[in-house]
Amino acid sequence: MRSLKLIWILAEKDLRLEYRSRQAFLTTFFFALLILVVFQFAFDPGSTALREAAPGVLWTALLFPGVIQLNRSFQLEKEEGTLHGILLSPVERSLLFSGKFLANWVFLVAIDLLIVVAFVIFFNFSFEAKLAWILLLILLASAGFSAVGTLFAAMVSGIRTREVLLPILLFPIIVPTILAAVNGTQEVLLRHQPQFLVRWIQLLSAFDIIFLAVAFIVFDYVLDE
Amino acid sequence: MSSTNNQDFLPRSQKWLQISGWLLPFLYVLIVAALYGAFLYAPRERVMGEVQRIFYFHLGSAWNCFLAFFAVALAGVLYLVTRNEFWDHVAAASAEIGIVFATIVLATGSIWARPIWNTWWPWGDPRVTTMLVLWLIYVAYLILRSSLPDGEKKFKLCAVFGIIGFLDVPIVWMSIRWWRTIHPVVIASSGGGLAPKMVHALMIAVPAFTVLYLTALLLRTAMHLHQGVARELNQAVLERGRP
Repeated sequence: MRSLKLIWILAEKDLRLEYRSRQAFLTTFFFALLILVVFQFAFDPGSTALREAAPGVLWTALLFPGVIQLNRSFQLEKEEGTLHGILLSPVERSLLFSGKFLANWVFLVAIDLLIVVAFVIFFNFSFEAKLAWILLLILLASAGFSAVGTLFAAMVSGIRTREVLLPILLFPIIVPTILAAVNGTQEVLLRHQPQFLVRWIQLLSAFDIIFLAVAFIVFDYVLDE
Repeated sequence: MSSTNNQDFLPRSQKWLQISGWLLPFLYVLIVAALYGAFLYAPRERVMGEVQRIFYFHLGSAWNCFLAFFAVALAGVLYLVTRNEFWDHVAAASAEIGIVFATIVLATGSIWARPIWNTWWPWGDPRVTTMLVLWLIYVAYLILRSSLPDGEKKFKLCAVFGIIGFLDVPIVWMSIRWWRTIHPVVIASSGGGLAPKMVHALMIAVPAFTVLYLTALLLRTAMHLHQGVARELNQAVLERGRP
């Protein structure tokens, strides 16, 4: 009970900070919007090729802004020297990880939902009940993304080249998440084969469970102040 | 505040250099035998022709690439448990050699795939794509290594990434296989029925490459260790020179 409360306090602090400034939220949302627009220029707008590629475009637009947010989550603490304070307080490192993970996850899901709305409009899909499946994919994929991403963000937070280093470390590892999310979205929007969609959801869940557990255990080793 | 001292390992590294010295003649014989086996002893494949002979080197490298990356993860676990810098040297050496083998696997596979599958890069084959992701993961590992100054923090972070990278391999494999089975599979897995002489050639090529890996690992680990010793001596001199 105490742990859950501590996790929530840690996560709520980050979310409140973001809610008050809305700095990262607006920047990352705008960045994602730009990616959606750039792809319209890269392909022929309204062509079948672009429609076929739409799921890939959506997840590309979610991926890159996500990395920015992950980098920020430890950067602010470093700059203000507040990480030191948290580490000095009687909180286990694994709870600190959980709190950071929760904040990143909530942030990403919130921003992803907004981007999906923009995506449906730009790509001329329709708002219908089956989008609930995309919501599920977003919840699961951003959980895996935040689990590995929060761990790696903590790892690179002290390195000068962290902005480029984080995606270099993160993207190869989350290849299964990207594949499952893109293909799951393809099943929802274009192909409608529920048995494959279920398979991708299973893969996402397995990835989440494995890497949440691993990150929870090894987080202790990556922060030393 | 390093708990371990690289100089303590110097006698041990002398022994490795000695062992790798003994391994070298053995390695020469094995490699020549593997070349003989692949190019002269093994029969010409009826359908694929001469290009099939690349398979012996391809498979020998593939096996050792997995062995090397497994060693990175294992050394990572051992480092986190013992906090002994020695295991970081092993992990670094093994990752470097593993990437060389992975590059050989990708290059030989590509050279083979062009005449046989009529494509340089068959994205449809899950093995190729998994190997590419593996290659990316361990190149990222080396980039992480090079962006951190030597010290306990670097060893810890690299150990963690090495472990996570290896845990990711089966999941990557599964996801890519599912991805490709949904699309039409153009390429069926080849092999299966190898002629006995081909099996013999393979049975020489794989151990030859494994001895190559072990020799390189000994030499490379010793080299990393000596770099560590040089670093420590350098620090000691700097500290003593301070007024």
